[in-house]
Amino acid sequence: MSGVSIESVFKRYGAVQVVHGVDLTVEEKEFVVLVGPSGCGKSTTLRMIAGLEEISDGEIAIDGRVVNRIAPKDRDVAMVFQNYALYPHLNVAENMAFGLRIRRMPKDEVKKQITEVAEILGLTEYLERRPADLSGGQRQRVAMGRAIVRHPKVFLFDEPLSNLDAKLRTQMRAEIRRLHNRLGVTSVYVTHDQVEAMTLADRIVVMNDGNIEQVGTPMELFNNPVNTFVAGFLGSPPMNQIQGTLTDQGAQIGGHELRILGAASGQTGRDVVVGIRPEHISLEAGPETSPLPIALDLVEPLGSEALLHGSFGDTPMVLKVDTHGDVAHLSGVSEIHVPADLVYLFDAETGGAIRGQAN
Amino acid sequence: MSDEHTASIPKTEKSNVEVRHDRRNERLTWLIDHFKREWQIYVMLAPAIIWFLLFLYKPMYGLQIAFKDYSIFRGIDGSPWVGWEHFGTLFGSDQFVRAVWNTIKISALNLLFGFPAPIILALMFNEILNATFKKTAQTIVYLPHFISSVIIAGIVITAFSPSAGIVNTIIGWFGFEPIYFLTKPEWFRPIFIGTGIWQEAGFGSIVFLAAIAGVNPSLYESAVVDGANRWQMMWKITIPSIMPTILIMLIIRIGNIMEVSFELIILLYQPATYATADVVNTFIYRQGIQGGQYDIAAAAGLFNAVVAFVLVMTANSISKRFSRTSLW
Repeated sequence: MSGVSIESVFKRYGAVQVVHGVDLTVEEKEFVVLVGPSGCGKSTTLRMIAGLEEISDGEIAIDGRVVNRIAPKDRDVAMVFQNYALYPHLNVAENMAFGLRIRRMPKDEVKKQITEVAEILGLTEYLERRPADLSGGQRQRVAMGRAIVRHPKVFLFDEPLSNLDAKLRTQMRAEIRRLHNRLGVTSVYVTHDQVEAMTLADRIVVMNDGNIEQVGTPMELFNNPVNTFVAGFLGSPPMNQIQGTLTDQGAQIGGHELRILGAASGQTGRDVVVGIRPEHISLEAGPETSPLPIALDLVEPLGSEALLHGSFGDTPMVLKVDTHGDVAHLSGVSEIHVPADLVYLFDAETGGAIRGQAN
Repeated sequence: MSDEHTASIPKTEKSNVEVRHDRRNERLTWLIDHFKREWQIYVMLAPAIIWFLLFLYKPMYGLQIAFKDYSIFRGIDGSPWVGWEHFGTLFGSDQFVRAVWNTIKISALNLLFGFPAPIILALMFNEILNATFKKTAQTIVYLPHFISSVIIAGIVITAFSPSAGIVNTIIGWFGFEPIYFLTKPEWFRPIFIGTGIWQEAGFGSIVFLAAIAGVNPSLYESAVVDGANRWQMMWKITIPSIMPTILIMLIIRIGNIMEVSFELIILLYQPATYATADVVNTFIYRQGIQGGQYDIAAAAGLFNAVVAFVLVMTANSISKRFSRTSLW
């Protein structure tokens, strides 16, 4: 099977260790996204899979074969780079043919491959153009085309959309996913954009400070983050996190009692972090909600929804509410309502999840 | 009817003269504002402009002596015009024609061997992975540039000396007779070109190393993943990527084609090697400074400059047409 297996992989630059024993298995045909903030080790991990960085310790296997000491060209991977890495002096067809010509593929075969891939990517009419004469999106397609023509076992994407504007990024994101569905090649994709991760991935790997924090499907991670880092990283806007103490019925936060369904019993007095997703907060009281006062300082209309920024005590809070076509009434909001079944709890000391979303 | 028609033209419409006047005023206002805003830039630019005016443009006034029977006692303005007479004299002189041919031959050889040398050196430096070795090698090859041409010539003369020179010593080890290199016209050009490469290739490689440093590292990484080896990366990425720099340097070099390293030739040549070593600049030096024929020397100098101008213009337009790279 043409999956990727990473076992206890470390990366050190001199005395500085940047990847601390990563373990990960990417199944055949799976689309796995490594996501995390800058400097978390996601690109280094990807480059170790590609062979562009040596592994300090551990083992990487592609298609069941350990590749630690195998040159990048013999790993049968193709990589798409953040800045496209197109050869400026070659036209689109020559750029796409580069890897094939290096491998001495017959000219007819090269031409056939390029024609096919150009067709898939809508590049047929640009084959004679140089990268400088293409738009950002077209360049990105050429970079992907160059990877596709090689028919590798694994695609590696290193933040391929970060140089594109927001609209094009959304468009290309969908194209990448469609392409993956069509080609079915095992893919490892690095991004710092959680929206990209959520929309593209079969499974997301959240990395932080050289460690894997959590691996799972987008919804698993969204609904059941293992710690405050994952909870804060996935979701837009991120989850509100408020310090509190467990009580019999829920949690005490900033002098207010917050009812929580299924709160861990027998742990009264335990210091916790209460997590509330912005979209779970309501402006109207319900049968299972707890009211909290909020000092609103900004309303950001998004159309059908609006983001309300304010603070609960000293803790900044964001909530996402429906506008019903009008935002004027939102500026007067002074109380919010938190549903008892949609509250997350994390240990105040370790940040580890005590409970995820109650289902 | 006519009066009515004239009266119907709006009074606000301005004549062409007025429009031109307004535009001139607008430009002037813009220029004054621009100077007020950006005066620091012009202050910084001033020394360079003054230098150009004093040392390159002002001497051009003296170029007219190429067309005059110049006498230092009568001065430039007092000397009578003689038209193209000096040019006729020059082209009628075997020595000058020989100097022109020698200049062309030496320059062509220099272009052939001396121009690629720093590029090759830069490519070789780029392939050295050990940082210490790379720095040491670079320092060693940069050094000759900082040594005076007089010392360089001294080293060359000593190295090729028939009695104690290292070259003849080695030749002697193989049982051959010593060769009087610097007195033989056929050896002058190889020695001169070789010395030039030794002295300047290292320093000249800095420009190309800088160009190589500017190549996007992802191109190499992408090529590595695609399966290219170092040789293929050099040919397919490095050289094409630095081609604009190579072309610019080539155009500059072509512009200086008539300016072969005058000092080194003066220091290395001797009457026995004039047949291959005497170039236009050394001819000018002998005629003008040593022989006191400033007008003939000025004519030769002007000829040199015109040829260089034509060459640089041609090279620039060819480069512009075929590679989109040009000096202007």
